[in-house]
Amino acid sequence: MEEPSKFERYVYKNASVYHYMKISLVLENGNKYITDAQFKQLIICGLKDLYGEVGASFPFDLLKFDQNELTGILRVYNSGLVKLWSALTLLGSYQNEACAFRVTQVSPFLLALSGNSRELRFGDQLIW
Amino acid sequence: NATPRRQLEKCPRSLLVCEKSNFLNEKSRHDIHVSKHNFNYKISVLIPECGILPANISSVIHSFSPYYLVRDLPVYQLLEETFLEPLVKKGNFYALSYNTKIDEDNAIALLSSGQLILSLDKDTYEQLGLEGRPSLYNHKKAMRFVVTLDLTDKSLTPGTKRYQRVLSSLKDRLPLRYDFLFTKYNTGSDEDQTLNKLLSQYSYEEHKPAFSQHTLKNMPCPTLYPSDIQGKTLSCDPHHFLEWLGAVNLDISCENAADSFLSTYVCPEPQSSVSQALLCTVTGFISPENVFVLLQELRQYFDEPKFTPWISLTVHGFMDSPVSWGATEHGFLKGGENLYNFVCFKNQDYWLHMATGAQDGCPP
Repeated sequence: MEEPSKFERYVYKNASVYHYMKISLVLENGNKYITDAQFKQLIICGLKDLYGEVGASFPFDLLKFDQNELTGILRVYNSGLVKLWSALTLLGSYQNEACAFRVTQVSPFLLALSGNSRELRFGDQLIW
Repeated sequence: NATPRRQLEKCPRSLLVCEKSNFLNEKSRHDIHVSKHNFNYKISVLIPECGILPANISSVIHSFSPYYLVRDLPVYQLLEETFLEPLVKKGNFYALSYNTKIDEDNAIALLSSGQLILSLDKDTYEQLGLEGRPSLYNHKKAMRFVVTLDLTDKSLTPGTKRYQRVLSSLKDRLPLRYDFLFTKYNTGSDEDQTLNKLLSQYSYEEHKPAFSQHTLKNMPCPTLYPSDIQGKTLSCDPHHFLEWLGAVNLDISCENAADSFLSTYVCPEPQSSVSQALLCTVTGFISPENVFVLLQELRQYFDEPKFTPWISLTVHGFMDSPVSWGATEHGFLKGGENLYNFVCFKNQDYWLHMATGAQDGCPP
């Protein structure tokens, strides 16, 4: 049995190397069949359109994708957050159909994406 | 003066505080950390090597206090005499304006300590005419102000001049009304009567926190040694551990190849495989007292020998709360996270991680 430990405290500022984004894709004419790979490719194209091949050449992960809701969770290095976010905001079409990305949550902690109090709803009430 | 490229690479500031101690240590502040985090939206418990939620833990969760959604409550009501003495001053009562965004709207919070916090936009603040201070998180112009009223203070006893002035500001000058979430940790029945009387004057709904559980199978799990909280040798480091916890809560796969197109996320090292793990969550408006009772119960998990050396409890605060811990101001810049996580070890050692975003004071 390990001996009870002494008190220790550490404060980390900006120590997370990643940011995480919860996003959803809204298509003008309702949901299409999109695979996870197509979803990621769409975002990559948006990045290239905005920042060019070189500017867009940073990695990001599609940690999770829900095919029914067209929602996803992305992980990106901090240095790529602004570019990724702006590309998502400006993406306007997919296969000639008008679309928009909604960024529902951003955090340097993936754990925070599992507890968004703005999702607390009651009955038939629409929040935002 | 940053170059355009550096501007593009900037990120909002975040803080992670990691504390290590032992529950049996009399100087341990785990009880204070829990009690000062007034507003809790979601709790998540992870027990590796466990398939069924132990009865004692289940029982505690199902005894969590109900909470109430009260529609269109005038804020002055929280100062009313009949309400003040039996409810506000006794403590264990929490109120938070519902569906008010701290970065856009006015937000109101009543802490268990009896402090009433009004986080107001400039117009509301000026019209209301109560003394406050500019928000700590104003950008260049002061657009947000915070009024803090200590309802237990003698100067705000009903009958005093100051009390009358505050009451008339909220009642006549600018009658603010919001939907509110209420909860009360039950310590006696006569307080319930006051609460019920108040509720009956308005449109309200009673809710029990929503509970769910999943048994996860065959998953990699980080190795944690209590002596190594920084993750230098024996444990994985705190950021990677919390990221993994996020992955578990969000049902994110950890089995990706390093060259995979979609995701390269993997469980951090050191790790081992567990055949099953139990994840259970509770969501609603949860009082710190309930969280503390649950924590006490989770500590007892190791009273009998268990396969796992650790279990985890995550508590998420409200994004739009005007405070995080105590009366420390909280804001929403790109996000409003204010969460904490306990890792409880067999020998009653614990780790406490407290995470906040850009518009937060350092956790206590």
